[in-house]
Amino acid sequence: MELLEFARGPVMTFALTVFIGGMVFRIFSLFLMWRTRDSSAGSSRERSSFSAALREIIRRLWPQAAYKQRTLFDLVNGYVFHLGLAIIVFGLAPHILFIKDLTGLSWGALPNNLIYAVGIITLVSLIAALVRRFVSPPLRIISTFDDWFSWLVTFLPVLTGLIASSHLGARYETLFALHLFSVALLLVWLPFGKLMHFFLVFVTRSQTGIQLSHRGAQL
Amino acid sequence: MSDTKTLGEMLTERGVSRRTFLKYASYTASILALPPTAATAIAQGIANARRQSVIWLSFQECTGCTESITRAHTPSIEDLIFDFISLDYHHTLMNASGLLAEEARLQAMADNAGKYIVIVDGSVPLKDDGACSTIAGMTNLQMLQETAKDAFAVIAVGTCATFGGIPGANPNPTGAVAISEIITDKPIINISGCPPIPEAMTGTIAYLLSFGSIPELDDLGRPKAFYGEAIHDRCYRRPFYERGMFAESFDDEGARQGWCLYEVGCKGPVTYNACATLKWNGGVSFPIQSGHGCLGCSEPKFWDMGGFYEPLSTATGDPLKWAGGAAIAGAAIGAASAALARSRRNKAIKAGASKPSEEAE
Amino acid sequence: MRRDNAAPCIKERATGMALSVLAEVGRMLENLAATGQPGFVDLRSLPLSDADRAQLETLLGRGEVQLELELAGTSEVWETAYSGAWWIRHRGAGDKIASEEIAVCRIPELLISHPADIKAAASRLRHELETTHV
Repeated sequence: MELLEFARGPVMTFALTVFIGGMVFRIFSLFLMWRTRDSSAGSSRERSSFSAALREIIRRLWPQAAYKQRTLFDLVNGYVFHLGLAIIVFGLAPHILFIKDLTGLSWGALPNNLIYAVGIITLVSLIAALVRRFVSPPLRIISTFDDWFSWLVTFLPVLTGLIASSHLGARYETLFALHLFSVALLLVWLPFGKLMHFFLVFVTRSQTGIQLSHRGAQL
Repeated sequence: MSDTKTLGEMLTERGVSRRTFLKYASYTASILALPPTAATAIAQGIANARRQSVIWLSFQECTGCTESITRAHTPSIEDLIFDFISLDYHHTLMNASGLLAEEARLQAMADNAGKYIVIVDGSVPLKDDGACSTIAGMTNLQMLQETAKDAFAVIAVGTCATFGGIPGANPNPTGAVAISEIITDKPIINISGCPPIPEAMTGTIAYLLSFGSIPELDDLGRPKAFYGEAIHDRCYRRPFYERGMFAESFDDEGARQGWCLYEVGCKGPVTYNACATLKWNGGVSFPIQSGHGCLGCSEPKFWDMGGFYEPLSTATGDPLKWAGGAAIAGAAIGAASAALARSRRNKAIKAGASKPSEEAE
Repeated sequence: MRRDNAAPCIKERATGMALSVLAEVGRMLENLAATGQPGFVDLRSLPLSDADRAQLETLLGRGEVQLELELAGTSEVWETAYSGAWWIRHRGAGDKIASEEIAVCRIPELLISHPADIKAAASRLRHELETTHV
């Protein structure tokens, strides 16, 4: 019980503090950097910035035909675990209550058993992603500590969440505390590693879209 | 005072037959989650035992535990336990006797040295040398140490005695501690709960009488027969939990339908007690059945578990108390790092100023 | 007031537990017939709804022997329609069911006079004979 109270109390406070501080730090340090201004005259096909940004984001949800075959595994597996994570995080009632306590927002939950099934699928999908990264020579060569560690801090909450829900191996309060520790680790790492892509991917794709639109590229 | 006759002899004289013992033994075996075949051994054990001397010490408590065990009703098998024990000292019940009660205590300790059981309810304050709670001029600490010296076993009854309870809750102004932190050289059985289920107390005493030994305890010193399973694992509302059907507030539609109380703060998943099976008031109901979430009252520090109405999955305390400060700090460091990058770039540009610059600032 | 272990929402519904217990009793009865070894089912520890209990009572039925005992509260013992399967119901304070079991045996130990009780009774009767019926 002491461990659980520690996890729910000081640990979660620390993790959320670092997460918020870290997110603000990254956003400020990035957006206050200089930007390359393109002073050329825009193409006649130039769209509004917002429209160009949005179109690029949507376009990149699916690969171009020429690349699809080669990236099929990453495409399918990627969607599986991304959607799985979203369903788990935003669909399980205890998670919604956690968010509601912090932000006041809440919505209807999905049945627990459904989430457990999705959890298992997501777990397998994440392991598949890890194997792929290890087995594919170019991927392995270019992988850094950030890649492996980001995978780990994403994997652990799913694993510990499933173990806690199944009451496997130790008392529930211990398993639950471990799950909270793994979430705290994720929150602390998130602003500083590649997991920032959850936010930055929208920024970078918007930028690309605007730049291409300015040049009149067909989108 | 305890008799030299065995309980079997003593009760036969009173017209209580061995057959009644067997009925009592069946009932006790059932609540201790022992197989029905244990009834014979329990009946035999009790019949051969001497009347058990019990000294009950009440310290920083609300008397709820005494209330729980002494519910008056028509004599029944549940009451037989009071024939099996000789309650030689209980200062609340013996209040009117004044100092004579203290003499009775010391006499019982002398007469039954090494054989009496001490039952304690309430926590012991340590601040100011224990001055916060005294009885007959002795601090609780002194009385506990003196009384437990020649005891056979100590039973700490109620969450105050087992874990510190409400006096021990934040900020614990009296320095209240659990009995197990003071007595370390005797076997201690913790019967936690606020109050404990009466059958947990009487069943444990019956076990001690029948078998002369301590029942199997969990790692918090509580008998596994009553504290071996979490409320959540025996709760009849569990199917609603699994299906994600929750009462979102008291008296809403979900609450009226009897759905799971997780969202209104039920601590069932992390609480170990027999409420969901034995229930209260002789099996009538328990908090969840009555529509209120479990408080976790048999667990250590349950008063400080983040609030009775806060769900288990929320962070306790004020998790965002430093969020504002962190954001400001992050912004400052972020701005500083961007400024540093810019100044380095400007220096590089100046250093290469002879070359035409492709970019404008 | 009757003790029930099941939820208010399923009190009236039969959950199938009665059939499960019946099967268990059947196994024990076969064992008793073959080896003479008794068996017991503690009904209090099972999550039986009111309907389950009623169903089990109906399924087992009543046989030739029915007894009412006064032992610090009433107790009822009856042999079910299946010889060897006895139903023992102990009532406690306020006539609530304190414990309940099905004993598969030749006769429940509860019904047999205990040696200590017999000894005490013998001395009592001796005293009675000596003082009043000289």
